[in-house]
Amino acid sequence: MNDMTSLRLESVVKKFPQREGSGEFTAVDNVSLDIRKGEFITLLGPSGCGKTTTLRLIAGFESPTSGRINLGGRDITMQPPNKRDMTMVFQSYALFPHMSVFDNVAYGLHLKRLSRSDIDKKVRATLDLMGLGALATRRPNQLSGGQQQRVALARALVMEPQVLLFDEPLSNLDAKLRVQMRGEIHRLQRRLNITSVYVTHDQDEAMALSDRIVVMNAGKIEQMGKPEDIYRYPATRFVADFIGRANFLDTKIQAIDDNCAVVSAFGQTFRVPLQQTPFSVGEHATLMMRPEAIRLAHDPSAKQVRIESAMYLGTEVEYMVMVDDQLWSVADTDPRTGRAFDEGATAGMTILESSLHLLKASH
Amino acid sequence: MFTLQRTLKDFRRTFGDPVLALGLLVAVLFVFFTILLPIFSMISAGVSGDGLTSLQRFITDPVYLNIIRNTIVMGLTVALGGTLLGFLFAYVQVKVKAPFKRFIHIVALIPIISPPFALASAIIILFGRSGLITKGIFDTRCLWGEGRGCNDIYGLDGLTLVLSLSLFTVAYMNLKGMLEALDPALDEAATNLGGSKWHIFRTVTVPMLVPGLAGSFLLLFVEAIADLGNPLVLGGNYEVLATRIYISIVGLFDTNAAAALSVVLLVPSLTVFMVQRYWINRASVVSVTGKPTGKPQQIEHPVVRWVLWGIVMAFCLLIVTIYGTIFVGAFTEVLGVNNAFTLSHFDFVINGYGAEAMTDTTLLSAIATPIAGLMGIFIAFLVVRKPFPGRGALDFATMLGIALPGTILGIGYLIVFNNPIELTIPIGETPLVIPIIPKLTGGRALLGGALAIILVYIVRSVPAALRSGVSLLSQIDPAIEEASTSLGANNAQTFRRITLPLIRPAFLSGLMYAFARSMTTISAIVFLTTPQTRIMTAQILNEVENGRFGNAFAYCVILIIIVLISIAILTFLVGGSSAATRGLQGGR
Ligand SMILES: Nc1ncnc2c1ncn2[C@@H]1O[C@H](COP(=O)(O)OP(=O)(O)O)[C@@H](O)[C@H]1O
Ligand SMILES: [Mg+2]
Repeated sequence: MNDMTSLRLESVVKKFPQREGSGEFTAVDNVSLDIRKGEFITLLGPSGCGKTTTLRLIAGFESPTSGRINLGGRDITMQPPNKRDMTMVFQSYALFPHMSVFDNVAYGLHLKRLSRSDIDKKVRATLDLMGLGALATRRPNQLSGGQQQRVALARALVMEPQVLLFDEPLSNLDAKLRVQMRGEIHRLQRRLNITSVYVTHDQDEAMALSDRIVVMNAGKIEQMGKPEDIYRYPATRFVADFIGRANFLDTKIQAIDDNCAVVSAFGQTFRVPLQQTPFSVGEHATLMMRPEAIRLAHDPSAKQVRIESAMYLGTEVEYMVMVDDQLWSVADTDPRTGRAFDEGATAGMTILESSLHLLKASH
Repeated sequence: MFTLQRTLKDFRRTFGDPVLALGLLVAVLFVFFTILLPIFSMISAGVSGDGLTSLQRFITDPVYLNIIRNTIVMGLTVALGGTLLGFLFAYVQVKVKAPFKRFIHIVALIPIISPPFALASAIIILFGRSGLITKGIFDTRCLWGEGRGCNDIYGLDGLTLVLSLSLFTVAYMNLKGMLEALDPALDEAATNLGGSKWHIFRTVTVPMLVPGLAGSFLLLFVEAIADLGNPLVLGGNYEVLATRIYISIVGLFDTNAAAALSVVLLVPSLTVFMVQRYWINRASVVSVTGKPTGKPQQIEHPVVRWVLWGIVMAFCLLIVTIYGTIFVGAFTEVLGVNNAFTLSHFDFVINGYGAEAMTDTTLLSAIATPIAGLMGIFIAFLVVRKPFPGRGALDFATMLGIALPGTILGIGYLIVFNNPIELTIPIGETPLVIPIIPKLTGGRALLGGALAIILVYIVRSVPAALRSGVSLLSQIDPAIEEASTSLGANNAQTFRRITLPLIRPAFLSGLMYAFARSMTTISAIVFLTTPQTRIMTAQILNEVENGRFGNAFAYCVILIIIVLISIAILTFLVGGSSAATRGLQGGR
């Protein structure tokens, strides 16, 4: 373990007894993670993939069936949750309804037996930081959803924990507020430099906030990496599909040359730079391309496709086009063109070679 | 084996906190020694040795078979009558457009505080063989029929009336809650489909209420067959198990026979308890939707409306008259014979034996009440929040305290605690004797038997606090408690600073119920009072048995006043407005 590691999960497994019958259900399946000091990590995945369970294992609300958890070099696997130097921000905010905003934020400091004046100073500072100074005497039910969210955050931040844990904290807010709070969490975390583990099923949130994203599926880690890498070079078809939209084409590797695979599609030859995953010549593979990496034009020499639907969304025009027998998604993000093609029209399609990516054949 | 190990590991983790572990230990020991041990001892006395001989005799002897049949019949008539009455009151309250609803509601709640014998005695004064109404107004000794067909108030009919009136409040509250929670959109949908009111009533309202009706029916059945006070006073020749048990102990000093009879009484009680727990409660969850989405529709048909309202008002009038009789009777020489005003009954109660009974009863109840409240809430906390193996069993055993007739518990106490419980270790010449629990009942009992009475009060009250605690705790988002833990609070701190304030109303209602219940219970403690510890309800029984109704009424009035004052003090102490009404979902 190096000095920079703050939190470490070693082959953590969590099994729950099956609700019916006597079997067991593996919610978290052999998860290992190294989280650096000050890093913002997001656990991303579809509902039920084990994100919350992983977070609760870190917090200590669940104990792992096997595996170990380390914090700052100490084994905390058996340490009770109230002794762990972490605080959690809950999806439901979980504010104490019988206490004022001030008392909510002061709660943890009281338990630490800080002096009254210290508590007062810290709570005031945190409330001001969160723009809650004027609301200190209110009760939670007298606050808007966004304000409640801030109080929940303030209550966790004031503890100055080694690790902050978030369980889908923004999922109860409306879209506009969500984007705004997202910015605020980003700003605060960078400023205070607190190691954070953040659970969400919203890929935009994950991309916007994270230093690294951990994509989970069925209790396992599917891929781990920087947001750009995950988006551009997904390791599996699941990740490619879950993060953004993607189009796939079965292909065969014709040659490998200078760490680039040579493949052909629609009678054209492409050179695709290889990432970690090794490929061999002659292997079947899946070519992935993002909707914004495809261009449509009135070009009779290009591959001809039929426009099935065209939706104007402002920032882009979203087309569904029929490519041979597959429905592909194409995004025209050029601000100079409007809806250039109507439904039922035919267009010439070109693919930007530099944005192609190869995946292992899925079957 | 592997799963067992893991279960143990989880258990150790959950109860690694010494405070929690200690609490669990106390709860388990409490439930074992004060509920399970007495019940098991009672059963084993009933089905072995002399008890078994008696039991065999009972189930073949026509006299006893008749008593068993009487008990069942009375249980059924009261369950039917009380449920119908409760339904009528609830239906008029929620679904019928009529005046004086507030009055009807309050009158329906009055019987919660009914000292045993009070209603029965008042009924005798009003409708007895020389009753104010029967003799005074109609010049007859009978309720109906004359001469040989004469049917007086004593027996099944009187018992059904009095017990229905004393017990229907539970049915009323249950059914009122369900009627209010029934989604009015259902009514509206049915109306839109062209159904008439009667059709809706038959096809929508009643089916949705079946779990509530069945639940009330079973509850009243159990309460009725367990009741001792009313059959003792009003039974006449109509003998039921509870009275026969009482006579076996008080008149014949035959504990084994009493235990054998109690086993017979235990069977229907336990059956009903199981049915309720595993069948009714499951069914009722489904039928009630969350929030009403519209305004409930009300009956406006004039005939239906006024007939229903008229019946309910007549019963209200009866209840008011009965309680009026109690009150007036307390200030009258001999009601119906010598109607002169007097304070002599109060003088007798306050300056005679009664003073001691008043202070003893109040003191013992006041000691038992907060203990029962805390214990109930704590067990609720364990059951709802700590997924440990055996929590279902803990809940079940705790509920037995109220599910089983008080007589059964009382006899169990007589059997178990009549001798000190000791652990004898045979070493050396004189074996080592470690006292565990001293003698609690009978002559030379610890504190004159007061401890046993306190324990019974607690055992009888904990279930109510447990149930209200469970229902409130399940409404509190567990994340609120986890947030507290995450901020560094241990279990005890979370319980005291977060959980307890949030469930304060349940705590309060649990406490009030516990207190009223303790003050008015008779069947569970009638065998446990000693000359050193006098209990008001037992004193009332004494007065009633000797026909001194005036003294009994004075006791009842004082008992009611003590309960009311205590409720007022409790409300003031624990705080009226509650945190819980401010939303338990973490501020949302
Ligand atoms: N206490 C529990 N008992 C049994 N199964 C559970 C428990 N908690 C979670 N699970 C199961 O584990 C899986 C993962 O749950 P969770 O971690 O909450 O998923 P996510 O947060 O990714 O949506 C789900 O299938 C869920 O049903
Ligand atoms: Mg989740």
